[in-house]
Amino acid sequence: MVKLSLNGLNKRFGELEVLREINIAIDRGAFISLVGPSGCGKTTLLRIVAGLEQASSGAVLLDGRAVGTPGGDRGFVFQSDNLLPWRTVFDNALIGPELAGRAGAAEKDRVRNLLRLVGLEGFENYFPRQLSGGMRQRVNLSRALAIDPDILLMDEPFSALDAQTREIMQTELMRIWEEGRKTVLFVTHQIDEAVFLSDRVLVLARRPGRIQETIDVALPRPRALAVKRTPEFMAYVDRIWRLIEDDVRASVIEDIREHGS
Amino acid sequence: MATIESNPSDEIDPARAASPYAGTYFRLNGLHLAGLLSVLGGLALWEFFSRVVVANALFLAAPTQIFGAIYRLAVGGQLGPHIAVSAAEFAIGYAIASLLGIVIGFIMASSELGKQILQPWIAGLYATPTIALAPLFILWLGIGVWSKVLVVIFLVVFPVTINTEAGLRTTSARLIEMLRSFGATPRQIFFKLSLPSAMPFILAGLKLGIGRGLIGVVVAELFGSRAGVGRLISQSADAFNMPELFAGVVVLAVAGIVMTAGFTWIERVVVPWTRD
Repeated sequence: MVKLSLNGLNKRFGELEVLREINIAIDRGAFISLVGPSGCGKTTLLRIVAGLEQASSGAVLLDGRAVGTPGGDRGFVFQSDNLLPWRTVFDNALIGPELAGRAGAAEKDRVRNLLRLVGLEGFENYFPRQLSGGMRQRVNLSRALAIDPDILLMDEPFSALDAQTREIMQTELMRIWEEGRKTVLFVTHQIDEAVFLSDRVLVLARRPGRIQETIDVALPRPRALAVKRTPEFMAYVDRIWRLIEDDVRASVIEDIREHGS
Repeated sequence: MATIESNPSDEIDPARAASPYAGTYFRLNGLHLAGLLSVLGGLALWEFFSRVVVANALFLAAPTQIFGAIYRLAVGGQLGPHIAVSAAEFAIGYAIASLLGIVIGFIMASSELGKQILQPWIAGLYATPTIALAPLFILWLGIGVWSKVLVVIFLVVFPVTINTEAGLRTTSARLIEMLRSFGATPRQIFFKLSLPSAMPFILAGLKLGIGRGLIGVVVAELFGSRAGVGRLISQSADAFNMPELFAGVVVLAVAGIVMTAGFTWIERVVVPWTRD
């Protein structure tokens, strides 16, 4: 059953064509990743689904209903944790229900359980500055889950973490996802992360951003980190890398031209 | 290779996770001791210089003479009323200026038109030594309390306004976006984000206002008053009574130090996330 569908989505910023004819259908409970070089519009795409940005044309349908503004049916996990420094871990995670005017006892219990789920039990009264980057991203995740969204939108949530912490967070995310089986749309520029986490990887091309290839990942679940060293896994990574290699090279050269002189 | 088990307690940085004050007390005490010694040494030098080198109480009073004067004035019942008058002038002016400054700062931060209308006045008057207007205010309002209140308002309102505006304007765009993603209304964004993130700025403006307000009270009293610490100082100067003149100055210094220290404490309580 289709949870989220994007129909003929286009996005322009003035003269710049950012996204062209995006058509995606995501089944309920599926974990979908978007990968692509910088400038392929993957974050813009996610922000349009979140309602933080408007599409120039086309529609975003959630359970068949068109969505255009932010809503409690979508939980956004940000690249930088975006925690409020004056709020404790618990109060940060509770912000969604609080803004919706329903931070009652049931929601507080729910948040407490979520913090336990993401491994932050005992840290409820800590302030963000007392936490490591990995822990702050756990709060970021539980904050999005606290509104019990139909779909989780994740924008490179682990990109600011060091390599080891990132791998741990990937397995943690898998564990949490296996428990709730939320529909997830995950943006990353790391191919191995996308393959490890996803049922399906959408590979985007740049200028304009468009879907180049859809790759179903047939690795069995639950997946342990060790799967990353299997030939099957590496074949997926290799295939995706070859799809975007030229684009990545082009974007790097462009970066050097723009900033390197 | 086995699955890596996550253990969040491995991720916490013990230096930051521990009580923020653990281990700092001893060092603070050491530093306090250095400060205390510096003050005592300075007073001893002053005493020596005043009694042995200058040796003329018309030009310089020694610390012991000053504390003697404070004691006599306090016991004689003259000091209390002077302090009460100055304190009232300061408190009324400071309270009005704080409220006014926060409101004007809010208007300037939330309306571009409001900012364009108010900005030239705020910037111009902040840079002007408005204390020079004190004689004019006394002409208008008499030598009583209200001319001093007006001087205090003029001196305190601008740093509060400017800091409030700056604080509200620097609200993080990323955090606004985060709240928007949860469907926050503009009103919710103001109360749950802009206001708390501006608090450190607003408090800094209020703290700046303390010193300026004290100067305002005293200088305005020097220009003309019936009572107050400034009046005590000008009376003593007219009578060449250096110990009592310095007594007034010491009272002011203590008031400034106590209020600034009180503010530091308030900051710790109200904006604990800014300390490090």
